[in-house]
Amino acid sequence: MVNNHNAVHAEKPGQEDLRDMIARYLPPERVPKKVKVITDTSDFFRVDYDDVVVLDGRPYLIRNYEREGRFSIDEQPKFWVKRAIDLEDGSLKIIKMVFSERFRAKVGDMIFECVRSSKKEARILDLVRGHPNFMHGFSTRDSTGNIIRIIDYIPGITMDILISRLGRNHEDYFYNYFPSVFVDYIELVEAIAFLHRHGEKHGDIRRDHIIKDKRGGRYRWIDFDFNYWHKENMFGYDLFGLGNVLVYLAGRGDVTTQYLGHNNQAALQRLTIDDMNIIFNNRVVNLKKIYPYIPDTLNFVLLHFSAGAEVFYDDTGQLLDDLNEARDNLNVAHDSVREE
Amino acid sequence: MENSGKLKDRHILIALDESENARRALLYAADFLGGTPGFRATLLRIIPEPPEDYFDSDEERNKWIEDRRSTAKEMLENYRKILIQSGFREDKVDVLINVRSCPSVAKCILDEQKRLGCCTVVVGRRGISKKEEFIFGSTSNKILHNGKNCAVWVIE
Repeated sequence: MVNNHNAVHAEKPGQEDLRDMIARYLPPERVPKKVKVITDTSDFFRVDYDDVVVLDGRPYLIRNYEREGRFSIDEQPKFWVKRAIDLEDGSLKIIKMVFSERFRAKVGDMIFECVRSSKKEARILDLVRGHPNFMHGFSTRDSTGNIIRIIDYIPGITMDILISRLGRNHEDYFYNYFPSVFVDYIELVEAIAFLHRHGEKHGDIRRDHIIKDKRGGRYRWIDFDFNYWHKENMFGYDLFGLGNVLVYLAGRGDVTTQYLGHNNQAALQRLTIDDMNIIFNNRVVNLKKIYPYIPDTLNFVLLHFSAGAEVFYDDTGQLLDDLNEARDNLNVAHDSVREE
Repeated sequence: MENSGKLKDRHILIALDESENARRALLYAADFLGGTPGFRATLLRIIPEPPEDYFDSDEERNKWIEDRRSTAKEMLENYRKILIQSGFREDKVDVLINVRSCPSVAKCILDEQKRLGCCTVVVGRRGISKKEEFIFGSTSNKILHNGKNCAVWVIE
């Protein structure tokens, strides 16, 4: 539920007070001479570095905007998402302002009706309060009623970057790191199952929407403001996302036909179209054909996301059943990755 | 002497939307059953309530629902006439528009089948690709798999 203690009802801090507060967290030469105070964030392009956004009477010093992208290229600036310092306690926050958009997303050759909704994210923030596998925060309204989400900053790196750094090669990674990663992945699937049980989708499940929190080492889902217009299977696209993450983890990255063409022609020759991702035809899902030491029970799960699949997971419960069986067959204890 | 053991009509549920495959299902049922005594039919249109996230206001959302309801009403009336022309008695064809929160349309259809005590569910099938079924799901397949105590006719 959105916090309705509206900023217009709260006392706006004065310039002196704000400068004093900013001076607690910035060196003197960085404290702005005049502080621009914003209570209406409708035009988020006007919310700049060093401005102070006041929400519920609480001042937040705006820092840089966030970016989003994959593979560190084509990163898109998200001008409506700013880092900020909570000037009352010095904590780092992510302030997400309202950027409503409806659009048609294309995944492979399939079209999705999508929406970016601050209402949805606000609702889920309430739902996952205290849950260790999600970002935390709360929502409130600015002076004109925009739903603003104030998210606790998570120090850490995204799961895709972390995985790419583990192990000397795939075999080393698979035997020495993957069992632990896999247990963490199951925990992440259980977190999504929690959302689904409450009738909510994540909406944008991607490996770079998972951050490994440095404080304690838990993986946490971020960014759940997307929703898609589902058809028969409300959670189908979430399940597809979970499958893609799993294949990425098991393969220590995407194993593509392009990669194999350069590095493993023999393996490439063994593949058929049935071995590929059901949507992305250049990504190998039947990883056992590339890495024969992958256990059958794990590969069985992967194959549910392949073009050759005859049955699909209807829900996270079915996926979790198979994941737990695969974990038992990996037969390695959850160990040190969390403490790294 | 009056027969006290009056036969109960067999109740057919025809689940419809505005698609061509749904129309084919309706025409099949009309052709197959029209004029045969002992059947009654309910024409059902499920309109899943859209989540609030897709709309800027409640008014916009309500208008979306009302527009769909109005389209469905017109469609079901037309289909009702087709069944009557095929030989169904007027008092043996009902129409039902159900606007509800509906994570799965198949489940909503089967809920109605159970509530109305229908012995047969008739649906159309679009013939979607495997990847579409994976991501979006298939209503007809789910009805086939989950239907209990009823026959399911899937019309292609």
